Amino acid sequence: MATAAAFGVTPHKVSVCVLLQMYAPPAQAEPLFSVSQHNHLGLYLLALTKSHGDFLEPKLADLLTQLKEISGSLGDWLIEHLTSRLSSLSSPDDLAALFSEFRGILGGTEPAVIEDNQVVLDPNSYLGMFVRRCILAFNLLSFEGVCHLLTNIGNYCKEALSSCLPYELHGLDDSVNDLESSSTYENMDLENIVFQKVTEEMEANKQPSQRNSFHLHTPKALSGLVQDIEILAGSISNRAGKSGETCSSLDTSASGARHADTSGDMFLRTTSQLQGFFMEQADAIEKDGCSFPLNGFEVILNRIKKLAPELHRVHFLHYLTCLYHDDYFGALENLRRFFDYSVGIGGFDITPVPSRSKGFERYETGLLCLGMLQFHFGHPKQALEVLTEAVRVSQQQSNDSCLAYTLATICTLSSEMGSSSTSGMLGTSYSPTATIGTSLYFKQQLFVLLREALKRAESLKLKRLVASNRLAMAKFDLMNVQRPLLSFGPKASMKLRTCPVTVCKELRSCLHLVSEYGSESPTMTIEGAFSTAWLNNLRRPMGASVLSLDNGVGEGSNAFQFCAQPSSIPRSVLQLVGSSYLVRATAWEIYGSASLARVNSLVFATCYLDASSSSDAALVHAKLIQHLATFQGYKDAFSALKVAEQKFLSISRPVILLLKLQLLHERALHRGNLKLALQLCNELGVLASPFNGVDNQLKIEASMRHARTLLAAKQYRQASEVAQSLFCLCYQFNLQVENASVLLLLAEIHKKSGNAVLGLPYALASLSFCQSFNLDLLEASAKVTLAELWLSLGTNHAKRALTLLHGAFPMVLGHGGLELRARARLIEAQCYLCEPNYSAVEDSEIVLDALKQASDEFQVLEYHEMAAEAFYLMAMVYNKLGRLEEREEASDSFKKHILALENPQEEEEEEDEPVSEMLVEKN
Amino acid sequence: MKPASISVVFTKGRREAKFRFFSPAKLWTVQTKAAGRSEEKKGRIGNANSEMSSKENCRNELRTAIRQLSDRCLHPAAKWAAEQLVGIEQDPAKFTPANTRFQRGSSSIRRRFRTNEIASATPLTPLAGVSYVSTPVMEEDEAVDNDFYLLGKTYFDCREYRRAAHALRDQTAKKSVFLRNYALFLAGEKRKEEESIELTGLGNSEPTNCELITIERELSTLRKNGTIDPFGLYLYGLVLKEKGNQNLARMVLVESVNCYPWNWSAWSELQALCSTPEILNGLNLSNHWMKDFFLASAYQELKMHNESLVKYEYLQGTFSFSNYVQAQIAQVQYSLREFELVEVIFEELLRNDPYRVEDMDMYSNVLYAKECFSALSYLAHRVFMTDKYRPESCCIIANYYSLKGQHEKAVTYFRRALKLNKNYLTAWTLMGHEYVEMKNTPAAVDAYRRAVDINPRDYRAWYGLGQAYEVMGMPFYALHYFKKSVFLQANDARLWIAMAQCYETEQLQMLEEAIKCYKRAASCGDKEAIALQQLAKLHRELGRFEEAAFYYKKDLERMEAEEREAQNMVEALSFLAEHCREMKRYEEAEVYCARLMDYGGPEKETAKNILRGIRGDTSLPSMDVDHFRP
Repeated sequence: MATAAAFGVTPHKVSVCVLLQMYAPPAQAEPLFSVSQHNHLGLYLLALTKSHGDFLEPKLADLLTQLKEISGSLGDWLIEHLTSRLSSLSSPDDLAALFSEFRGILGGTEPAVIEDNQVVLDPNSYLGMFVRRCILAFNLLSFEGVCHLLTNIGNYCKEALSSCLPYELHGLDDSVNDLESSSTYENMDLENIVFQKVTEEMEANKQPSQRNSFHLHTPKALSGLVQDIEILAGSISNRAGKSGETCSSLDTSASGARHADTSGDMFLRTTSQLQGFFMEQADAIEKDGCSFPLNGFEVILNRIKKLAPELHRVHFLHYLTCLYHDDYFGALENLRRFFDYSVGIGGFDITPVPSRSKGFERYETGLLCLGMLQFHFGHPKQALEVLTEAVRVSQQQSNDSCLAYTLATICTLSSEMGSSSTSGMLGTSYSPTATIGTSLYFKQQLFVLLREALKRAESLKLKRLVASNRLAMAKFDLMNVQRPLLSFGPKASMKLRTCPVTVCKELRSCLHLVSEYGSESPTMTIEGAFSTAWLNNLRRPMGASVLSLDNGVGEGSNAFQFCAQPSSIPRSVLQLVGSSYLVRATAWEIYGSASLARVNSLVFATCYLDASSSSDAALVHAKLIQHLATFQGYKDAFSALKVAEQKFLSISRPVILLLKLQLLHERALHRGNLKLALQLCNELGVLASPFNGVDNQLKIEASMRHARTLLAAKQYRQASEVAQSLFCLCYQFNLQVENASVLLLLAEIHKKSGNAVLGLPYALASLSFCQSFNLDLLEASAKVTLAELWLSLGTNHAKRALTLLHGAFPMVLGHGGLELRARARLIEAQCYLCEPNYSAVEDSEIVLDALKQASDEFQVLEYHEMAAEAFYLMAMVYNKLGRLEEREEASDSFKKHILALENPQEEEEEEDEPVSEMLVEKN
Repeated sequence: MKPASISVVFTKGRREAKFRFFSPAKLWTVQTKAAGRSEEKKGRIGNANSEMSSKENCRNELRTAIRQLSDRCLHPAAKWAAEQLVGIEQDPAKFTPANTRFQRGSSSIRRRFRTNEIASATPLTPLAGVSYVSTPVMEEDEAVDNDFYLLGKTYFDCREYRRAAHALRDQTAKKSVFLRNYALFLAGEKRKEEESIELTGLGNSEPTNCELITIERELSTLRKNGTIDPFGLYLYGLVLKEKGNQNLARMVLVESVNCYPWNWSAWSELQALCSTPEILNGLNLSNHWMKDFFLASAYQELKMHNESLVKYEYLQGTFSFSNYVQAQIAQVQYSLREFELVEVIFEELLRNDPYRVEDMDMYSNVLYAKECFSALSYLAHRVFMTDKYRPESCCIIANYYSLKGQHEKAVTYFRRALKLNKNYLTAWTLMGHEYVEMKNTPAAVDAYRRAVDINPRDYRAWYGLGQAYEVMGMPFYALHYFKKSVFLQANDARLWIAMAQCYETEQLQMLEEAIKCYKRAASCGDKEAIALQQLAKLHRELGRFEEAAFYYKKDLERMEAEEREAQNMVEALSFLAEHCREMKRYEEAEVYCARLMDYGGPEKETAKNILRGIRGDTSLPSMDVDHFRP
């Protein structure tokens, strides 16, 4: 019963069977095919039964077109045979005869009677099974069913003939004509695609209705032509589009709309093909997030729902689209509907997990999904409530894998949401008074939970989960000092440092996943993807055929080998591995190795960009651009940003927007345009959600920048107030890595306000934080600040400052950005100058060297204030040395920078793209 | 006790009828009770002529309409119109008793509740010159009915739809065009139904009516040309609705009923398209007495029960013997949970119309709720003999088995009902209940979910979903469903209590929320009196003794009023005694203790102890407590 429901005989299946009959003729027919053609046809049929590019079975016209493409000259013969075969069916008895003929395709179980030339299909092969299932399904049909099939076949042929007509006409004309017309279509459609990108939603909205009215008044043939063009457009966009996924889904949405109005004879593909289709779409949704076209896809889903109400997976896809389009109620409703209907099985006959004997199997999965939904929408409290229920239910049902997943989710939830919002729920001993205690306690809890989750996942051999748990673990190790959970007495060693080695170890073990994938994923979908890619490739009307006109038969196989090589590793695995590289890059950023961070980002960008979600991709771009900004100045960074913006359509990508604001702010600060800087950091602050404990990173960033702007405006009191409150925030949420930089900022503020003595303890505190978290680069910059502080305490500390500085130099020069390097140089020069036994005449080169470098680098950064200082010092030195010409030069530069600092507006106007414009564009 | 309440309802209707020039809302607030008998009579006499004539108008309109509707083979609408025609009270002077035989005995309800005067006292609807179309005079476009039309109609009447359509293929007269398209539509529907049976298990399980496109094409051109008649518009609306184009369908149907209001089928299609009050209010409907029927049924569907009831009672003024109106009133009363009244109405209905199957499932629900085994079995037998292949019949039988506790059999019959009508809402919900009884929660969830997807306003199914998940130990998950059901039926105490209990479960322990829910339940008139008691208990657990005392007192009062004696009484008394003693309200405490002494067992001892304590505290001259006997 179940199989019958899943596998009905349809006209398309009948025609595939007819083709199979030609592939494996029953008797020793004349050898029509060359061997390669024969193989090619076989491959094509295999792909046809496995591909999952669309949810509906292809029309006869599509089939015929494809046949023509794959088999060249033989195509006509095949088409001829197929259509005549199909159109000769006029009574139910013809059908019965046809199906009894199909029996002959299959070889018997005993290999005795096979003749030389005869090709026999192994009944146990995939195609053999296909034929057997068709025959079985036909035998199960009632008389009414046979009648239905007959009328359906009639319609199937009729449609094809009417839409075939223009096709044939084209064929009769010379092919140049054909090429021309389709290339104009191509242009039109490319324009269309660009247009569609902007107004995707609107388009998708309009499409169905337009088509409707259109079709009502056009003769059938014309509408058939239109459909063909759409196919062209789809495959072209596949090739041309940078974001191929979006386009292909657009294509399917278009085809969905196309099918929408031709009512009646539509047949869903087999369930396994549909499953593949669903999985692919789910992947696409997850990857593209909110740029996935909503309405077009909705049309498709509604159609599937109508055609096959028992396929509940549709609701799940509905849920996913709603989730990524931030439709809370829609997501909630559809998720619940999915689990209500299907108990999570999804209505497929092939279920990944065989259902257990107990009555309710997978409601706990529903809870887990619901928890993730609440998490996604930023309701940590509800999420945790749901997840605890999930834990309880899966314990009751002894569903270990669900439990493991739930634990992992709780871990991510609690590590992302910070301690304040969750501590009350995780720990039993909750006391609101001792916040520090609880936050530490909370971290401990989290650690235990992480370990537990990891262990569980490992014992259950859920490889992907293990990998992602390891990632979480690495993140935890990166940000938290591990203390022994129990320490007895003074002898217990307390090593209060994070351990980079463990982080790296965790990250590296994540990579093992790639070699181990496979066993967890159903291979069927991979093959399906393979077939889909191949078929899509076939459909390419020109590219391939132009290139290989002469070797007619070979073209398909070429394409097969080179163009459509889908990766055999599942997307999710690639995604995980990719994100491990991202974490690596972040880790190295924190540890202060600029080059390693960059390399890891580059690895991600080159190897995993296709598989990763678009938000990850945007993040890695942001990282690279930031790197560019710190090491090569703003010019390059902004030009790179432009590229990234085009790539990610910045409206939907907060990461890119954030980056832009950061860069602009940085530049404004350096140029001394404080008004703009203030405006920018206010905008940055607005991006964060107003709720406490959410978007902490963003809030910290914003107020840090705020403090720096105030500092640059010489409003020390306010600056230090902001910094103090920031420190409190970081402390509250136990963000110690951020603490280090906040402390450094405080030291800076005190230094600038001329209160070096007060600054010292902050700098030292920052230093110790840096040491315990291995923040080497930050440590170096803390040392630089410390040196400055010493220096400002008086000239007699110059020596000490210099040694400090020299100690930090390897790190500063090796990994520091332009600003840090320049600052260090400048201070070095200052130290030399301050030293009492310094004589300008003898050691001038050291000082001048340092100053020159510093001034160069400041100039690149357009950091006028500091550049002016460097030039000032330079001029003084030259003056002392009596090199007047050079002195004039330096003082000119000095003047220039001072002037620029005083009217920052002018500089903006010189730019080809003023900031105000960029801001408008961004908004 | 019950009849009194009914007569109140009826008098309300009467009072309103007198102020017929005001808007209904205004009428509802007018509370002049001075309306004396004499005044009433005077009004009656004054209006007598116009009433008579308006009733006569009504009759004439309906008579013509029935003919026209049957000419177009719109049988259900014709049937409905005929029922209403007979439902108008006849002039006894003009007709022999034989003519009024349909009305015989129909006034027994009124006799029982002394309301027979109203019928004649209520004048007809907007008729006093407001009605915009007077008689359904359609220009009969073929003076002599075409022969082909006659042939087509006979085929149609024999249910040979395709043949009928074929016979009418070249006809251009409006009537024939309509009949042809309608025949095509019905042929498509018939085929669709057959297909849905043929195709079960073939994956492609939702067949569509394949004639829709051709019909739509023809009718839309006709509409563009302006040569479409109201019947054509009705069919066009129907087709559009089938195709899912709701907005246009609504527009077209409104057009149709504005031109020709006597087609009840058009009204009911329109009503099915009004899923929210906003949509309903947005309709641009012309005034006609048929509109009242429409509004009444639309209000009912939108759960605006009181408005609906007002409308129906108003209509009953004219259509005093209409079974339809009576059944609808029963339905509204059922939604208001007035089971006694519903039962009476149905008894009456069955007496007048013994072979009626429509709405009888509701009657069976009432009988089920009242646990009338024999009446239910009698009803089941009766409908079974009348027409066993009606979803209602199956549902009644299933109800019977369910009442007997034979849930498997009940499920079988519910399934049969659903096979006959896949969108039969009640059956899905009730089947869900059966599955819950059989402890098959996944199946129950599935059934409820289907009900909810058919009509998302079905609070019972939402409630059932919540219950099923609660049974499975997923209270937090269940809460969502309870919230939904409570949202739809905000003044049902049972729902609030269910939700509160969900909050109260040991997994959740969200007591504050539970208290809020119980409060709502208590304010909604909680019949089983769980809310007060739970409120008291919860407050006590949370250490809020003042509130706890308040609720215990309330609970106590209620128990006294209902003269119920229970363990709860003891609990309340002992808490109150203890509490009053602690608050140093000794006299009160003594009263409670005294009452507590009525009960035996350990409570008596505690009461004694408390009393002793009080004596100690107040250092009154101690009485011998042991002699303190009531």
